[in-house]
Amino acid sequence: MPRLLSPLVLSLIGLILFGDGAFIHAKAWLAQVLLERAFDQSVATGRMVKPWSWADTWPVARVEVKRIGASTIVLEGASGQALAFGPGHIHQTVDAGERGIAVYAGHRDTHFRFVRNVAIGDVIDVTRADGKHFRYRADSSAVVRFDASGIDPTARDVELVLTTCWPFDAVTSGPERYVLHATLIGTGE
Amino acid sequence: MVTYDTADNDEHPMLNRLIKLGLLLLAQGIAVMLMAFVALLVSFGTSWSATTEPASLLQPGDARSGTLLLKDDGATTEAIRLGIDIDITVSGPTLRARVTQIFRNPTKDWAEATYVYPLAAGAAVDSLKMVVGDRVIVGDIKERQQARVIYEEARRAGQKAALTEQERPNIFTNSVANIGPGETVLVQIEYQEPVHQSGNEYSLRLPLVVGPRYNPAPIVQSVDFSSDGSGWGAATSAPVPDRDRISPPVLDPARTAPVNPTSITVRLKAGFALGEVRSHHHNVKIESPENTARIITLADGAVPADRDFELTWKPAAEKAPSVGLFREHVGGADYLLAFVTPPNAEQSTQKPLPREVVFVIDNSGSMGGTSMVQAKASLTYALSRLQPTDRFNVIRFDDTMDVLFPASVPADAAHVGEATSFVSALQARGGTEMVPAMRAALADKLGDTGMVRQVVFLTDGAIGNEQQLFEAITAMRGRSRVFMVGIGSAPNTYLMTRAAELGRGAFTHIGSVEQVEERMRGLFAKLENPAVTGLSAKFSEAKADVTPAIIPDVYRDEPLVLAAKLDKLAGSLEIRGHVGDRPWSVTLPLQNAAEGKGLSKLWARRKIGDAEVARAMRELAPEEADKAILTLALDHQIVTRLTSLVAVDKTPNRPEGAPLKLSELPINLPAGWEFEKVFGERSPFPGQLRERHADAGTSPAARRPTSAAPDAIRLPKTATSAELKMIAGLMLIVLALFLFVFNRRQPLLTDVA
Repeated sequence: MPRLLSPLVLSLIGLILFGDGAFIHAKAWLAQVLLERAFDQSVATGRMVKPWSWADTWPVARVEVKRIGASTIVLEGASGQALAFGPGHIHQTVDAGERGIAVYAGHRDTHFRFVRNVAIGDVIDVTRADGKHFRYRADSSAVVRFDASGIDPTARDVELVLTTCWPFDAVTSGPERYVLHATLIGTGE
Repeated sequence: MVTYDTADNDEHPMLNRLIKLGLLLLAQGIAVMLMAFVALLVSFGTSWSATTEPASLLQPGDARSGTLLLKDDGATTEAIRLGIDIDITVSGPTLRARVTQIFRNPTKDWAEATYVYPLAAGAAVDSLKMVVGDRVIVGDIKERQQARVIYEEARRAGQKAALTEQERPNIFTNSVANIGPGETVLVQIEYQEPVHQSGNEYSLRLPLVVGPRYNPAPIVQSVDFSSDGSGWGAATSAPVPDRDRISPPVLDPARTAPVNPTSITVRLKAGFALGEVRSHHHNVKIESPENTARIITLADGAVPADRDFELTWKPAAEKAPSVGLFREHVGGADYLLAFVTPPNAEQSTQKPLPREVVFVIDNSGSMGGTSMVQAKASLTYALSRLQPTDRFNVIRFDDTMDVLFPASVPADAAHVGEATSFVSALQARGGTEMVPAMRAALADKLGDTGMVRQVVFLTDGAIGNEQQLFEAITAMRGRSRVFMVGIGSAPNTYLMTRAAELGRGAFTHIGSVEQVEERMRGLFAKLENPAVTGLSAKFSEAKADVTPAIIPDVYRDEPLVLAAKLDKLAGSLEIRGHVGDRPWSVTLPLQNAAEGKGLSKLWARRKIGDAEVARAMRELAPEEADKAILTLALDHQIVTRLTSLVAVDKTPNRPEGAPLKLSELPINLPAGWEFEKVFGERSPFPGQLRERHADAGTSPAARRPTSAAPDAIRLPKTATSAELKMIAGLMLIVLALFLFVFNRRQPLLTDVA
């Protein structure tokens, strides 16, 4: 029997590890479903709606890139907990559509997996929780260190930055971030 | 097996329960896994569908033949292309160069292009032409701010415009606005430059690329008090306030093909029968239509702009003419250019004075590759030339600094041996903090011991804070003389010449290992022989405005070059001085001067240089110096720090609303440099074009995402450990299965046995 024990324990640990990793994906997916519902509700009611009662964050915007069929709900704040459920809007930056740079950060392997496929020139649609709609055009990308993003929060134009970890296919996390920069080209209700 | 199990069951009821628990967990694990797979399929869904969709970006196969593609992480973007054609005509003592930059826009958008390029430090840029189709628009000289405004207005209005600005006396920027899709715009600048002479060799140097500069971080404010002791001074904050303007994107040669193909033609009319004509770093084809003229073209067609083009020529006669006098009549004034090579002091009658030599070697990252080899070889050669009566010291610097000996030591075999092994162990790495090294070299610890004090500084000059270095030399030079040795394929010639001028020394260039011995021998001839000192120039009849106003000492084999503006061309010019300790004088009758071209521009350029030096040395108030520079520049139509050339095609061209993209044209890494040594790890986006909209009002620098603003936002960690965990988990499961199968086999085998 002890001979059976070690593969059993190993497979157990393996399963738990795998399950844990898969759980992250499951959580990310499930949260987006709930967030989608809460966001639609906020747009409809004009009030901020928490996706579930114990949530410490709430949806602020929907980001869509129609060309590649990507859509995701952005949460307020970019804490580790919030990022597990959806991309986060970094506190110090302005809201989308305001003068300055709005920065959304998301996990490269879940919600912001699509960012790598956004080409320069793609249209990025942002719908805010108050129903206002903004249309951006991706105009540059860069790879920076997390502490030298070069993003100037006091920029004079209406800009949007989507950021995620770089390199996209790495297994461990490093100091580099991919920064996709877009400029406002139109607004609408 | 069975008996084994029962025994176990009887003896270990605990273990039995444990197995049950394990099975429960296993079942749970499988459930989680199933759910996870479903989740995975859903969450990956969007990205999978995205990759199958054709991207709007161009693939290499779609490119028309000859199109340059910049690689951009998988997808490729077409970029603005640049071709350069340089046509130089040398007429006797001066040369006129026409640089044509061909901007081609293969993209489907309207584009604005900026290109940062080098010119010789003494070049007087006086003409800008923009050619669009069959129209030629001639540029005007304007004050820099005014020219910028004119250009920006044209850019916004959708008109084609070109702007030439000076960033450093040897770095210029051309900007071209509103290049239409598929369109080609030619921008042509012309400049005038004196030919360089040393001994009986004449030369021209055509820099083709700006080596990436090290720009010290603006952390420490330095305060300079004015010398009158009034207690007032100025705090200088950023050492390189315009770092963005002199740092174009640089391509990693390992990842992209070289760009900016350049063709060069030199029409050499020396004015005397020519002997050897040689190009040092490029293969050339030389035609000789007559014995005083040559036509030099590149043998293999266009070359990438990644190193200086250097051409030298010698007269057929054993000795070059020792005197040259040229005149030009422009706008009611006569301009004179005089070359006089003083005679060499007799070697035998003069025993060389004992010297104290401080060698400074730059081992920063930009020196990596062949430059470091050249620098080490040069310094090793120099050490071997020292006499036992000399004293010496060695300083090496990158962003740190080491002084080999606490004070200069006698050049005996032991010390020279120690220095040689110190030098041969040097590795190129790190930044280029040149100022502290220069200060250490100029610190005169021995005091006046009757020795001649010389500093030999070996560097590529790849720094952006040249001004701080000049200030250090001016403030601390004392009795020391500074000799600059420019190393590598694209040295900063402006830094070399100006530092040597301020340090009352000389400079030389070493562009390849083969040149080390020849050039260092020439330098040592200058170091070991007394200079011609106390020089003065006097015109017998004409009233003259002479530059340089105070004539510097002239070293062996170098000519004294004077430019003057005269009210009338009459009488003679007398030059006096001392060769060693013997008086020397020469008289040149002005009537004999030959006709020359562009001398007025050269005179003005040198006057402007003098004013810049006086401003740097605080002999002139900045406002006064600027006023003098501006007047000279506008009178003679020269691009300076304060004036730019701008050309605008009045017909609007870009349809309203069509966006304009900015491309900062990338440059090559100078030949022989190592990318990682300069830029650290390879960036994932080599030579990436940064694009923006035209009507967005802000400056490009402020909008560039990569330029680090001091209070920039820190980006959160945006990667989960999901994949890592899943991979590790799967690996463990596979291992467990393997172990399980292995364990099952083992007892069976033993049973059989």
